[in-house]
Amino acid sequence: MDPKMDGGFLQPGETLEDNYDTLKALLPEEVLGIMDQLLCHEMAWHTGNPLSQTLFTSVYIDKILWPEPKTLEQAQFYRGEVSDSRRPDLLLEVLRAYCLALIKCCDFVIAKVTSRDYFEEEDFCTHTYNRVLFVQVPIDVFLRELDVAVESLQDPDLSISADLCEAIITRLEFRKHFLTALDLDCPLEHLDRYWPPISSHLSSINSTYHLGKPVPGSFSTKIQRRLASTVPPRPIVELDFKDAFSKLQQLCLDCEEGTRFTHLSPDPLEYQSFLWAFASRTPTPLPYARSYLANILFHPNTLNTSTTLPLTDLQCLIFTCSPVLDPQNWALSPPLNPLLPKPLRHQLALIIDEFIERTGQNYLELWTALGQNRSRLRRMLNHVILGWDQLQVDANTLDEEIMAVVKEMQVQEQVLVYPLTTWVYHKKLWMIEKIVMLGFEQDIYLPDEFAGMYGFLERVARRRVDLLSNIYAHYEEQEKQYLRAKPPKLEMAAEVEGAARYIESLLAEATGVCELSGALFRFYTVLLYLRLLPTPNRPFSTPELRYELRMKPFLTLSPPEVPPFEEHHEQLHGFGPYDNPEPSLLLALQNPISELWKGIEDGIKRAKDSFSQLKKLGPKAAKVEGVDKAWGKEVQGALASCIALGVAVVGIKTAVKECDENGKVAVKVEIPEMGSGKRYAEGWVVGKVVKE
Amino acid sequence: MGDKDANISADELQYVQYQDDKEELYLPAIRQLISKDLSEPYSIYVYRYFLYQWGELCYMALDANNTLIGVVVCKLEPHRSGTFRGYIAMLAVQEAHRGKGIATKLVCMAIDAMAARDADEIVLETEVTNTASLKLYERLGFLRSKRLHRYYLNGNTAFRLVLYLKPGTATKKPHGDLNGNVGEEQGIREAHPTLDGTHVP
Ligand SMILES: CC(C)(COP(=O)(O)OP(=O)(O)OC[C@H]1O[C@@H](n2cnc3c(N)ncnc32)[C@H](O)[C@@H]1OP(=O)(O)O)[C@@H](O)C(=O)NCCC(=O)NCCS
Repeated sequence: MDPKMDGGFLQPGETLEDNYDTLKALLPEEVLGIMDQLLCHEMAWHTGNPLSQTLFTSVYIDKILWPEPKTLEQAQFYRGEVSDSRRPDLLLEVLRAYCLALIKCCDFVIAKVTSRDYFEEEDFCTHTYNRVLFVQVPIDVFLRELDVAVESLQDPDLSISADLCEAIITRLEFRKHFLTALDLDCPLEHLDRYWPPISSHLSSINSTYHLGKPVPGSFSTKIQRRLASTVPPRPIVELDFKDAFSKLQQLCLDCEEGTRFTHLSPDPLEYQSFLWAFASRTPTPLPYARSYLANILFHPNTLNTSTTLPLTDLQCLIFTCSPVLDPQNWALSPPLNPLLPKPLRHQLALIIDEFIERTGQNYLELWTALGQNRSRLRRMLNHVILGWDQLQVDANTLDEEIMAVVKEMQVQEQVLVYPLTTWVYHKKLWMIEKIVMLGFEQDIYLPDEFAGMYGFLERVARRRVDLLSNIYAHYEEQEKQYLRAKPPKLEMAAEVEGAARYIESLLAEATGVCELSGALFRFYTVLLYLRLLPTPNRPFSTPELRYELRMKPFLTLSPPEVPPFEEHHEQLHGFGPYDNPEPSLLLALQNPISELWKGIEDGIKRAKDSFSQLKKLGPKAAKVEGVDKAWGKEVQGALASCIALGVAVVGIKTAVKECDENGKVAVKVEIPEMGSGKRYAEGWVVGKVVKE
Repeated sequence: MGDKDANISADELQYVQYQDDKEELYLPAIRQLISKDLSEPYSIYVYRYFLYQWGELCYMALDANNTLIGVVVCKLEPHRSGTFRGYIAMLAVQEAHRGKGIATKLVCMAIDAMAARDADEIVLETEVTNTASLKLYERLGFLRSKRLHRYYLNGNTAFRLVLYLKPGTATKKPHGDLNGNVGEEQGIREAHPTLDGTHVP
């Protein structure tokens, strides 16, 4: 038998059942040791392992839960009657209170995680193997058990050393606050109250861990044999205390961060920034913390705003002070005689209502994707963009209608052409950029693909720059019109001016992305010519087939159309084949002010200027006020990447000046690995040039 | 395995296709070799599932004494996405014989066999930290297409690697589905031999 297949495989002389006696008196240090071991298992479960390999390996937990107790009174470390001499002593009662509350914590966690999108096993295992985790028992009961336990330990006649007693009490208190914070019924407006008290106990748990004494016998794989499951028994997951503790700390921090969502101004763009920043946190938030945030996000209080969230988004990007969204339009009713044409303004309202109704699902999908683990986020976005692509087709039809109506109203100069399409397209392009950036972040692309993928990113971002430039010009024109009106419409002018700041910020960001990816594309193309990137010979593949595979998520989109392979190939081979470049290449490389180098260096400079501009415009303009610190770091990371690229360019320029007659350079390029801390931004992979 | 054998080169081995009638001879050795190196617990049914249906896509490297040195196990079937998809399920080479191109040769034979049977693409998963395996496949032309969080039972993350063999693979659509878009993402473990219960009789 393969021990990997069956962790419950009996060794010679071993018995099937455990002989561990759960009524045997424990030393206080043993109680402490068991509590901390349980905490380790709890966190191992939080990181995605099944209960069967973690908490359910505890003989104490098993005894409480099985056979299923009908009442909490029955949930003991024994069943039925016990003689007085065998009755659990005070410390066992304390441990029981802790276990009961721990089990209830698991119940709350499962309920929260399963209430939103999550993926069983990939993110989290919710399987309880027919054990009922006190679903029906209200939280107060557990809090009372914990209080009683604390009180019993405060008895002055108790002969337990003070520090051990204190350490146990701290754990009981922690459990009380933790359970309270996990409670599903916490009111949304007070969520931020629940996490700080937990943090205050964490450090003393950590500092008293060494007082505990492990009781390894109280955990057993054998219990798995009795858990109804199709999977053969697997080994106990060992997460050491240090790691478990840091996971716990992280969990509390992330949840606390999540509660800040409740203080955001009700603006979908602030929400989007918050979700993005939360998903970008390192270490990546645990599934519970993600569900916690998702539950706040999808709470009726968040979603039921007077203006629907997609409409607010649309208004901000496209229709600030626009006649299309004039509240008056909604005040009109259709004519009583259905044969008469509907009032024009009323028609606009109907079109917008239809469109907003249509966007709901797409919006939801985007937000759901933003709440997933990062690997899945990238994969899910690949699907979400297909929905937005469909939406764009519908938006286009409605745009024709809008434009006909506003023309008839003679206000067409006040309305951006193809407004709804512009809005959808902008979001879609943003998502495509994120997909490519996430690909770099997750080491999906091999070094010899960098040039092509950054080239594609440049192309996509360029489209977004063009769109945003149109919107910006439109808002500027609107502002002028309002100021020129007699009398001037100052309030409206100010409102449009405010919206224009947001567009300006988006424009700075999109330009930065476009220019930096363009510079990286050119830089990596140079490296391909200099044969400085590992290039496998790939006997079973062709560049066409690999290009098709890479472009798969985008092939059906229109727009942006994926450029044909020939165009892509040409873009990457400006100087002919890599192994036999045109002689002009070496000339261009060795001339520090050639078009080639100028193209790269000017690009870096424009990228730097744009990111600096973005920074200067600040978090308010960017609608990232809720996450200004994380945002600041991201912008700083992009700026630092520009500088790093500048340095790398100098390194290559110097090297080519000193190259031998075959054009061979005496440097190598190191690609900083993901998560190694050597990238200034995980999505901006800038090779480092080092002397060989 | 004796260390004295370790210096035989990749070319001195015999590379043979698995044969059903030799199950008794090879299956125990295959199981032993694979269970030693792969983190996943595979039951006997998993091996039979692959070998009964796609024995001709399994290749073995044997030394002069017919000892199993390396093995590759695959399958090939229509995929939900509409492609005819090959899948490399298992690959292992005895530790003492690694780094000599044995796995490369086995994988090449498997790819050739699948290509000859008209496969559109070949996919597989491997742990993100398995440098040897990544290097081997990427040298042959595979690209990383996805990262799969906690793909393995031990909690490790995988890359999905993909090799297209024919143009037009990306835009293939399932038969009878005009929209094409069956959620590729139903479960990350769709092709995983142990976790999809339907595979195990
Ligand atoms: C993966 C495995 C099958 C490779 O077998 P192999 O016969 O050694 O492979 P090859 O000799 O054909 O090629 C392996 C390549 O990886 C390289 N390599 C091997 N170990 C490496 C390591 N630790 N780091 C970096 N590269 C490594 C080899 O040098 C060789 O590349 P090169 O020819 O460019 O030098 C073998 O290591 C193995 O059995 N591992 C355990 C099982 C496993 O991981 N299977 C794959 C998962 S599906």
